[in-house]
Amino acid sequence: MAAPLSTCIRLTERTYSQQSTQILKNLKHERGALTWSCLVQILRNASYATIRLRKLEQRKNQIFQYAGEDAKGADRLYVWGNATTGALGIKTYLRPKRYGQHEILTQKRPARLRFMDVNKFKVLDVACGYGFTVFAVKSNTGHKLLGCGINSDSQVGFHEEPRNSGRVLEYIIQPAVIDLPQNDPAALRLKQVACGRAHTLILTEKHGVFSLGNNAYGQCGRGIVEGEIFSKKSSVYRIPGLPENITKVVCGQDHSFFLTETGMVYSCGLGADGQTGLGHYKATGIPSQVVGDIRGENIIDIASAADCVLAISDKGDLFGWGNSEYSQLSVVTDATQVHTSRHLPFGKLGKIIKACAGGSICGIVNDQGQVFVWGFGILGKGPQLEMADFPTEIPPTLFGRNELQTDTKVVDIKCGLSYYGALTDRGDLYTWGKNKWGCLGLIYNKDQYFPLKVSLPAESKMVRCGVDHMVVLSQSYC
Amino acid sequence: MSILKPLQLTLAILKPDIVAQPHIASQIKNIILRHGFYFVRSKLLTLTRAKAEEFYKEHEGKFFHNRLVSFMSSGPISIHILARENAIAEWRKLMGPTKVLRTIYENPESIRGQFGLTDTRNSTHGSDSPETAKCEIKFFFPEFNIKEWEVSEAPLFSDRKLEFDPVKGVHFCVDPKW
Repeated sequence: MAAPLSTCIRLTERTYSQQSTQILKNLKHERGALTWSCLVQILRNASYATIRLRKLEQRKNQIFQYAGEDAKGADRLYVWGNATTGALGIKTYLRPKRYGQHEILTQKRPARLRFMDVNKFKVLDVACGYGFTVFAVKSNTGHKLLGCGINSDSQVGFHEEPRNSGRVLEYIIQPAVIDLPQNDPAALRLKQVACGRAHTLILTEKHGVFSLGNNAYGQCGRGIVEGEIFSKKSSVYRIPGLPENITKVVCGQDHSFFLTETGMVYSCGLGADGQTGLGHYKATGIPSQVVGDIRGENIIDIASAADCVLAISDKGDLFGWGNSEYSQLSVVTDATQVHTSRHLPFGKLGKIIKACAGGSICGIVNDQGQVFVWGFGILGKGPQLEMADFPTEIPPTLFGRNELQTDTKVVDIKCGLSYYGALTDRGDLYTWGKNKWGCLGLIYNKDQYFPLKVSLPAESKMVRCGVDHMVVLSQSYC
Repeated sequence: MSILKPLQLTLAILKPDIVAQPHIASQIKNIILRHGFYFVRSKLLTLTRAKAEEFYKEHEGKFFHNRLVSFMSSGPISIHILARENAIAEWRKLMGPTKVLRTIYENPESIRGQFGLTDTRNSTHGSDSPETAKCEIKFFFPEFNIKEWEVSEAPLFSDRKLEFDPVKGVHFCVDPKW
């Protein structure tokens, strides 16, 4: 650069004024009168150019401060998918700020949920249901439970606005506090939340498991009342009869699982496909222990998004029960419904650490970070619909293992009804499958036939898949 | 002048998974209207288990009978009598195949392909033949007489002197003489 910027500015100012006088002269010549608005516009343009150049100069003089090694990232929550119900928790999508702005009904790219940052909530756990989301957060005044999305079965609590008016909200478009029955709300400690099609389970540290929402099959852990109406209900139930050392709760579409510290599994809810694993096909509201091969095993994780269930023991063995119409469990049986837990002897898959089971798809991750998939649908192995009754590996290259990053591992896998999401130890999130309502977060609407990285400006820590939306808890890089 | 084919009646049910999501229910009703169906009668009710078992008598003994019955009796359902030329086949085509987890890939534009969840929670039901349509209409609308309707109301539908009432969910006549 030959001339300094300040000279540039002066020069531009001069040229602009020269121009303006010239134009004015022309105008006078033509019409014999001065157009005031024209003059204003010319001067405004000149001042904009000056401001722009001044900013450029300021930026040149800026001193950058790079983050140190000890710098900690802040929590960031990203959401995407179907926004029609308000499940994404971003209010302005459905109530635009300015008049004339359009509503956003599908968000195809990751959007940051600023609500938690603005209110200084630290997110402990998230769960996604069918059109609703529940958050367990820690605030200055104690732990809180928040929910947003569709509330037709009171699955996100009772919200009457204004109070005592009888106007109970059916859609909640921004996270709202769900009150739990507590004598001392400050002492409440939330551990985990889980959501099904229309019910929510909340695991607390000392007060057991709470449930709210639809109980047509007993999935809330209480007796089934025929013809019960679940909308506009304010009651939250504490599930009785469960052991005290529950460490995890898991929800399928219409059934629930409770995992104890010693590795025992209790279940209740819809059992028409055998998904409760209780040895019968009836619906039950009383949590009882799952029968079959998992008795005596130390179960550490359970996965179920629809009607097929997979469980993992501490030895890395895989167990399964429930629906098997798409040969999810065909390695042990040809039946389409299995009501007793069965050991799935796949062999040579290594020690399994994570599993996922959707509507017709299944997936597992072993301790080497390899991903195996089977079932029916888009399994992530090319542009064909596949029917696989035996787990086959997805090449690790697709998850970012290459010559420069030879040790990249997949550490977690989750799935919705017909799409997958896998998390690597580098904090990258890969999604593939049926792209309903843009739930893959890949910006476009087409189905994705192999794992593709979601472009997130943060390191992903936790991923949750709903039926048509996804939530990722991540940490910013600095 | 085109020759008008006689109107056919069919029974359509929006299952509990759809009724629980009001925005999807209204979307489906719009799709039905857009495809030229008329709503003759509409009803919202909750089936008891015994009633649902009676309704699905023909599927008794099949492996999905139990889950179908328990699903249908799990919440309110929205029942409609639809009228159109060749209504039964057209409504079944619009719904798409029963197996949702296959339909989402093979027939994604159909109602089940768009809104269905799983093979059980497959959003809609439709009669499969004129005989079953008659039976099912009689099952849910015992007060509705098909023969009487064909004489008194069907000509109005053919003349298209009708408008849709979104509150009651049925078409009504705009002709003041009627």
